[in-house]
Amino acid sequence: MATISIENVRKNFGAVEVIKGVSFEVADGQFSVLVGPSGCGKSTLLRMIAGLECVTEGDIKLDGKRINDVPPHQRGIAMVFQSYALYPHMTVAENIGFSLDLKKVPKAKIRQQVGQVAELLQLSELLDRRPSALSGGQRQRVAIGRAIIKQPRVILFDEPLSNLDASLRVQMRAELQRLHQELKPTIVYVTHDQVEAMTMADTIVVLNQGNVAQWAHPIELYRHPRSTFVATFIGSPRMNLIKGIIVGYDATPTFAAAEGWTVPLAGRVLAATDLQPVWLGIRPEDIRLAGANAEADLSGKVAIVERLGAETYLHVVKGAETLLVRVQGDIALRPGDTVHLALDPAGFHLFDQADQVFPA
Amino acid sequence: MTLRKFTRAEATAYGFLTVTLLFCLLPFFWVFLASVDPNASLFLSVPKGITADHFIKVFTANNGRRWFFNSLVTVGATTALVVVVGGMGGYALSRTTAWWKSPFLYAIILVRVLPPTALIVPLYKFMLFANGLMSAVVRSVVPPDSARSAMQICGFVDGYLGLILVLSAMQLPLALWIIKTYFDLTPKDYEEAALMDGANGFQRMHRILVPLALPGLGAAGLLTFIGAWGDFLMPLTFISSAELQLLPIGLFRAFQRANTIDYGYLSALALLYMLPAVVAFGLARRFLIQTFTGGIKG
Amino acid sequence: MAMTYETRMAWQNRMLLVPALVLLGCFILIPAAAAIYISFTNAALNGFAASHPQFVGLKNYVRLFSDEGFWNSLIVTFYFVFGSSIVGQFVLGLASAIALSRPIAFKPVFNAAILLPNAVPEVVAGFIWISMLGGGKYSTLSRIVGLFGIAPQNWLESVPLLMIIVVNTWRGIAFAMILMTSGLSAVPAEVYEAARMDGATPRQIFWRITLPLLRPTIFLYMLVSTAGTIAIFGLIYTLTRGGPGGATEIIGIYIYNQSFTAYQLGYGSAVAVIVLGVSVAIGAIYARVLKVQV
Repeated sequence: MATISIENVRKNFGAVEVIKGVSFEVADGQFSVLVGPSGCGKSTLLRMIAGLECVTEGDIKLDGKRINDVPPHQRGIAMVFQSYALYPHMTVAENIGFSLDLKKVPKAKIRQQVGQVAELLQLSELLDRRPSALSGGQRQRVAIGRAIIKQPRVILFDEPLSNLDASLRVQMRAELQRLHQELKPTIVYVTHDQVEAMTMADTIVVLNQGNVAQWAHPIELYRHPRSTFVATFIGSPRMNLIKGIIVGYDATPTFAAAEGWTVPLAGRVLAATDLQPVWLGIRPEDIRLAGANAEADLSGKVAIVERLGAETYLHVVKGAETLLVRVQGDIALRPGDTVHLALDPAGFHLFDQADQVFPA
Repeated sequence: MTLRKFTRAEATAYGFLTVTLLFCLLPFFWVFLASVDPNASLFLSVPKGITADHFIKVFTANNGRRWFFNSLVTVGATTALVVVVGGMGGYALSRTTAWWKSPFLYAIILVRVLPPTALIVPLYKFMLFANGLMSAVVRSVVPPDSARSAMQICGFVDGYLGLILVLSAMQLPLALWIIKTYFDLTPKDYEEAALMDGANGFQRMHRILVPLALPGLGAAGLLTFIGAWGDFLMPLTFISSAELQLLPIGLFRAFQRANTIDYGYLSALALLYMLPAVVAFGLARRFLIQTFTGGIKG
Repeated sequence: MAMTYETRMAWQNRMLLVPALVLLGCFILIPAAAAIYISFTNAALNGFAASHPQFVGLKNYVRLFSDEGFWNSLIVTFYFVFGSSIVGQFVLGLASAIALSRPIAFKPVFNAAILLPNAVPEVVAGFIWISMLGGGKYSTLSRIVGLFGIAPQNWLESVPLLMIIVVNTWRGIAFAMILMTSGLSAVPAEVYEAARMDGATPRQIFWRITLPLLRPTIFLYMLVSTAGTIAIFGLIYTLTRGGPGGATEIIGIYIYNQSFTAYQLGYGSAVAVIVLGVSVAIGAIYARVLKVQV
């Protein structure tokens, strides 16, 4: 249906540069998620794709054609707004059919198409209601219906699940995936929730302060983050970052943590010019509890125990650092207990002073 | 393409607003210019010189000063009376849960809708009657020479008291409504805390409620002032003697003497008359926005 | 303890309301009731009837129906209300509200200019418009239209009704604008964006989205403004005194003239009662609509 290319796009609001040169692509039929903290520019980017904001510099292309100057309703793009933006004075049927009505499509045809969309979204019983008489989830489905009736090549979602409660959110995530599989439009989806991004996306664009931090498949982002930003943003609970230096470059490269413990860095090619100090990143699930023997890399004191039933998170304090450790199931540890930890070298990520991963 | 279309809509907006602005401001040019024009006439003309004489004359020529004084006294007293009575009433209306609350509120709104000219006929009769009574009382209490001045103050017809009461009654409905709305938005918590601290009714009112309610009272007071300051019908109907005339009537009558009208003087007077109302309007808006955000949107 | 407190508070509340009730009762409610009574008498301010008003039943009302002056006044009032309140103020007020809802420079200046006519006292407003309209070829209006080749005239005599409609429109734009602005702000911006994405032109957006969503506000405005405009007196009295020949004798002025100029208190009251009835009906609708919103 449609490929989207964002090429070196910049956006200024007055004197403030909000988008600082962003480039990425969304392939036809892909579910692409723009994710990042508040203020990173993801919504602005989405609105530029929609045509609601103009592009200061750079190109937005749809199927290779530049659409910067094409008005919103001529782009073949539909948008689902964060607050749904349903027309309060129209019924569900009228809301969904509005775009067709504007084009003077005959009423019978509108009714038929609205009926089809309503069935797909399980809204058939609600067609005569006003938005004020609908629940949040129902309103959202009407907003989606309004979008898909236009048979758009691209559907944009602006934080659609942020107004829903937790259980509804899980349900809607599944619904959206189902819709994507059935209708196969190209989707660009904006959220600040990395769980949504990870579970639904084919590719993720991580944005930070107007720049693309990384653009890759979800698991690639998880396994190979290219910066501390991406490393700590993706994955919940977040990755541990430990300060330290690297010693013994030539023979046995070793990571020496600021707190005094060391861990060997076997199997890595590190040029001597790789500067110290560095960050060692390791995810909570790559740390295990070990006995007080040579297997353990360090020991610390348990500060907090978070029991979730299926797993337990330990906050282990070593000097000035706190490490988050994930343990399967439940464990008989209490705050104040001493534990010994072993770090899995396969889960090491090294980041230099500029917070970038290395070796590159 | 998108940029140019936006500018076209903007141009229409600016164009319309400019025309509207001119329409609204045009009539004022005359009064501004004439008030400083030594050769002011009824018609708009560019002054050949600037003078402050007219303004000075407003205060030195006998009538202008008198009119200002009368207006200030009556409208000031009206405002004070309305703020106090309306303050109490508005508070009571807000806090009460009596059965007659709703009908009473409806009635207040209804009253605002009555055309004053429909009321003045019987009101005049009533005032005549009350005046008669008051006259009898005054004459029995006060020595005959000062009876007249006493009646000027307490008379119902052609007296300050009557006019103040009538003006207050006219402004009361709006004031009650504003103050009630304001108290509706103020939680009872403060009063209850004061109660727990041991304050009695009077202390609660004086030290907690009044300071809390100042924006609402301010808005009501300002609107009362504006309404009473501009009221034309009531002074026209109830005041006949020249010494007691208020500004609007003074202005109106002076304007009617066809031959010897000093337009410069009149426009200076009009300007000065206008000023308090405009200033009060600006202040009132600020207070009202504070009071009503939450009120109108329900 | 609780019971005593509650009853004490209820009693206190009642006491607090008494002064307000006294004022309203004495100076508004009783006169209103008395007006109804007087309308059934032949009370007058002079002559025999002044000291001995007699009950004459519906005589005044019957007289109303055949009185040309009364019907004339009703028609004048109707045109006046329709032209200034329902059309003039509303259209200009709505347009101003929409224009000012966009990002525009000098917003406070435009705002202040539109509010000024409403802020000045009635008498001053009438006064400055006399300068605009009276005096034949010297009036400001004559000089302006002279630029377009239209002959100067004594506007207040040639087209008096049109002129008072213009003047009242000028005076009331502010109120319409304030109400419409409040109504507009209740429409979330995203609804407009969704409409743009659905392909609506600005005209379609106005007629199919903005206006329908403004309907309750418009209704409220119409009611309040109509009721208020019927009651106008000072502004028009200053301008024309109701003339020439009753051409601008809106109902408020008609009642005044009948009561105080012709001294026919009874008759004036009858007219007033009719107006009272109409106003109360409008006011009742107004109150109900407000309740629905508040």
